[in-house]
Amino acid sequence: MGVLDGLFGWAFLVPLFPVLAFVIVGLLGPRLKSLEWGGWVAVAFAFLAMVTGIVIGVGEMLSPGRYTDTSFTWFTLGASGGSGTFPNGFSLVMGTLVDPISALMLLVVNVVGFLVMLYSIEYMHHDRGLPRYYAELSLFLAAMNGLVLSDNLFEFFLFWELVGVCSYFLIGFYYEKPSAASAAKEAVLVTRIGDVLVLLGIVLYFATSATSGGGAGWAASGFKFAAGNGPFLGAAVGSAQSTTLTIAGLMMLGGAAGKSAQFPLHVWLPDAMEGPTTVSALIHAATMVAAGVYLLAVVSLFLGFTPEDRLAIVAIGGFTTFFAATMATVHRDIKRVVAYSTISQLGYMVLAVGAGFTMVGLFHLFTHAFFKALLFLAAGAVIHAVGTQDLFRMGGLRKAMPITSTAFLIGALSLSGIPPFAGFFSKDDVLGSVYSQTAAHPLYWPFLILAYAAVFLTAYYIFRAWFLAFSGPAPRDPTLPDAHEGSWVMTLPLVVLSALAVGAGFLVFVPGFAHLFLAPTAAVGLAANLPPVYGTTEILLSVLSVGLGVAGLGTAAYLWGNGRTVTLADDSAVQPVRKLLLNRYYFKVGYDWIGQRGVYTVARVGDFLDRFVIDGAVRGMERLFARLSDGMRRLQTGVVSDYAAYVVSGVVAFLLLLLFVAPWIVTAWGG
Amino acid sequence: MTSLVPLDLLALSAALLGIGLFGILTRRNFILLLISIEIAMNAAILNFVIFGALSGGPGGVSGSAIAVVLVGLAATEVAVGLAIVLALNRLRGSINVAESATLRL
Amino acid sequence: MILEQVAFASLAAVAVVTALLALLVRELVHTILWIAVFFVDLAAIYFLLSAPFLGVLQLGVYAGAVTILLLFGVMVTRKRIFSREAVTGIGPSSLALAALVVILLVAAATVVPNTEVPVRAYDVTLLSTTLFNQDGSWLLLLGLTMLGALAGAIYLVREGRE
Repeated sequence: MGVLDGLFGWAFLVPLFPVLAFVIVGLLGPRLKSLEWGGWVAVAFAFLAMVTGIVIGVGEMLSPGRYTDTSFTWFTLGASGGSGTFPNGFSLVMGTLVDPISALMLLVVNVVGFLVMLYSIEYMHHDRGLPRYYAELSLFLAAMNGLVLSDNLFEFFLFWELVGVCSYFLIGFYYEKPSAASAAKEAVLVTRIGDVLVLLGIVLYFATSATSGGGAGWAASGFKFAAGNGPFLGAAVGSAQSTTLTIAGLMMLGGAAGKSAQFPLHVWLPDAMEGPTTVSALIHAATMVAAGVYLLAVVSLFLGFTPEDRLAIVAIGGFTTFFAATMATVHRDIKRVVAYSTISQLGYMVLAVGAGFTMVGLFHLFTHAFFKALLFLAAGAVIHAVGTQDLFRMGGLRKAMPITSTAFLIGALSLSGIPPFAGFFSKDDVLGSVYSQTAAHPLYWPFLILAYAAVFLTAYYIFRAWFLAFSGPAPRDPTLPDAHEGSWVMTLPLVVLSALAVGAGFLVFVPGFAHLFLAPTAAVGLAANLPPVYGTTEILLSVLSVGLGVAGLGTAAYLWGNGRTVTLADDSAVQPVRKLLLNRYYFKVGYDWIGQRGVYTVARVGDFLDRFVIDGAVRGMERLFARLSDGMRRLQTGVVSDYAAYVVSGVVAFLLLLLFVAPWIVTAWGG
Repeated sequence: MTSLVPLDLLALSAALLGIGLFGILTRRNFILLLISIEIAMNAAILNFVIFGALSGGPGGVSGSAIAVVLVGLAATEVAVGLAIVLALNRLRGSINVAESATLRL
Repeated sequence: MILEQVAFASLAAVAVVTALLALLVRELVHTILWIAVFFVDLAAIYFLLSAPFLGVLQLGVYAGAVTILLLFGVMVTRKRIFSREAVTGIGPSSLALAALVVILLVAAATVVPNTEVPVRAYDVTLLSTTLFNQDGSWLLLLGLTMLGALAGAIYLVREGRE
């Protein structure tokens, strides 16, 4: 604290730059003579955002702490000096909060964001929708920066929805393609389930906190992410509110599962690959899908999970890690392989957060963002060069595309957890951390084993992809166009990300940077477990996971290396498994079935109600009045005598009333 | 001094009103319609006179006074009605109310 | 006073019969004749009810002016004065409706005594003061109404309307 304090007040600039880019490119982009200019504008603003983000990140490293700038009161309910749960009124503010984890996320989001934007200049140059692309991407960048800088849960939720909508736009970027349009709808519908759960969870936290002593303060502060909330939940554990808190925590897990594509809400992420590859790299690998993990991290840090919640999170994370990795082993589409890999890796992060090692999970998020973006961008370069996503048509691209090939290899090594690449450090920390909890929580064991199994599968599927695409003498499909390396615009991001994929793991040894991971406990007073200090057991575990990785690599090399192709016999025993995996465990079919049987039935009932009950009532009224007015119309003959007859009838009615009804009323009620 | 039965008097005026109403409901000739209205109107005037005569004194005078005004009004109404008859006859060539069902000239 | 009873009964019978005849005869001119008799008969009833001023008014306005007006109306709307009116049915429903009104009115009138009640005459000067008090507002209103009706009648029958 001190000289740097003024710096953090400028954190709002980070989301502001992309917003400006969104407005400028969105409004002016389509009118520019050359569509690429709009792209360069967006790249320039992304660069500014990156510089600001790095400055703030470095500032946080030098001076760890929590810096809030709540400049804008959204709304206030009630007045101060009142009584009840909120004696000083309840207000929601919009502000920025810079703390170690948001600084970490700022670095990830803006560095990857800038590189992807730069890369897109060439990757997307053929597309007429370039201004739309850049406007939406800038909006996403702004929303994501807003999300990580949120200083309360409500603001967080606002940006959470905004990144969701950007994801929808960008998945459906090629909206002329029916598959892209339906993938966008699928993504938004599936994540919506999670979003609703998050909102319900917030309401539950509110309800719980509003009725408990310490929590009212939290709610009254506007759901602030602030240290010291942990105790109120800690005190509530074991009390009557424990169940409510568990349910609220499970809802947060549901939201994270939707956003981070965890089982059973994972189905949307592979289909989201219908969007441009750059979008997959930024949104569906590095940043937005990490928002779910980030949500779990902030809830874990600032509110805390009950032990039941933790077990559920560990279960979901551990299972998804393995589950997604199995599906990645059989797919032919290079992007889908990487997408399943993303789901699997997000599972590791969820696993770590669930076991209580929030910062370890975020560390894996940090390294994963770089090597997964690298893998996607390298895959994009391949797709750009050869015009297909089918691995079985590629091959031998190593010679034509040496930079891309090396970049993908680095990404694959990092993903497989081979030392000294970044993935090794983070994945090893995750596994070692979870192992350290198994003594206290034996129920974590099966999920730790699944996670270890996934290490082998990870190395296998990613090297299968690498060997299929890059090794061998020539493409399997001779009709493929001659591949060539892209210009510097495409290669520079690959090089930078390669460097990060190699080196990001070493950053924990840099004293300043390590603050981001150590500071939450040391300087800020947040409750996060630190990874275990490495002893003999941990080193053995590392050896085990590296061994599994190498084994996976070796298996892939044996089966697919140097242009080989494995063809399973039709009657092979493995064939049903392969079919199951290719059909993605029939999850989509199952959801479709639910959609058709469940939702369609409801819709049919609704349709029936609408058509016959509601419309029936409306039409019935209409018919009634039509009949009535038809009858009335017949009375309107225009013949004076008829009208006279009506008048006389009225007189008769009046006389009857006067002579018989009125006396009866008088006698009945004793007038 | 004349003595009369009030119920008989009222029965006469009711009968005349009924005849007038019957004419109004059934006749289609405009002049007959006017005549029917006059009969009904006379029944009403007769009623005022009857009650005036029965109560006597200042109240009886009021009944006659209203009757005087009503006679004037009835005459006026006949004048306007005949004007309508003339207009209808000129424009439609007929004074049958069933044939001028548009209720406008 | 049996004489007055007889006089009223006969006058009432003539009133009802002439009114019915006026509506039921085929020729309009006969209708006018019967309605004139009806008006004169009513004037006689007014005399019987000790309201001679109204009897005179009835004779002057109704038996005189209105009858002439109606006759005039018949004459200008007919090419031949004696022409038969199209036969119109009695209309049972209309008859029933009218009868119902009569029955109900008589039923309502049973509150008045069914015995002989003296009919008292009044001073005609009293009638004139009643009519002209409050600066003659009754007659003023009547006059204004007549003026409006006159304007309306002129508007209806003016030339140039096709």
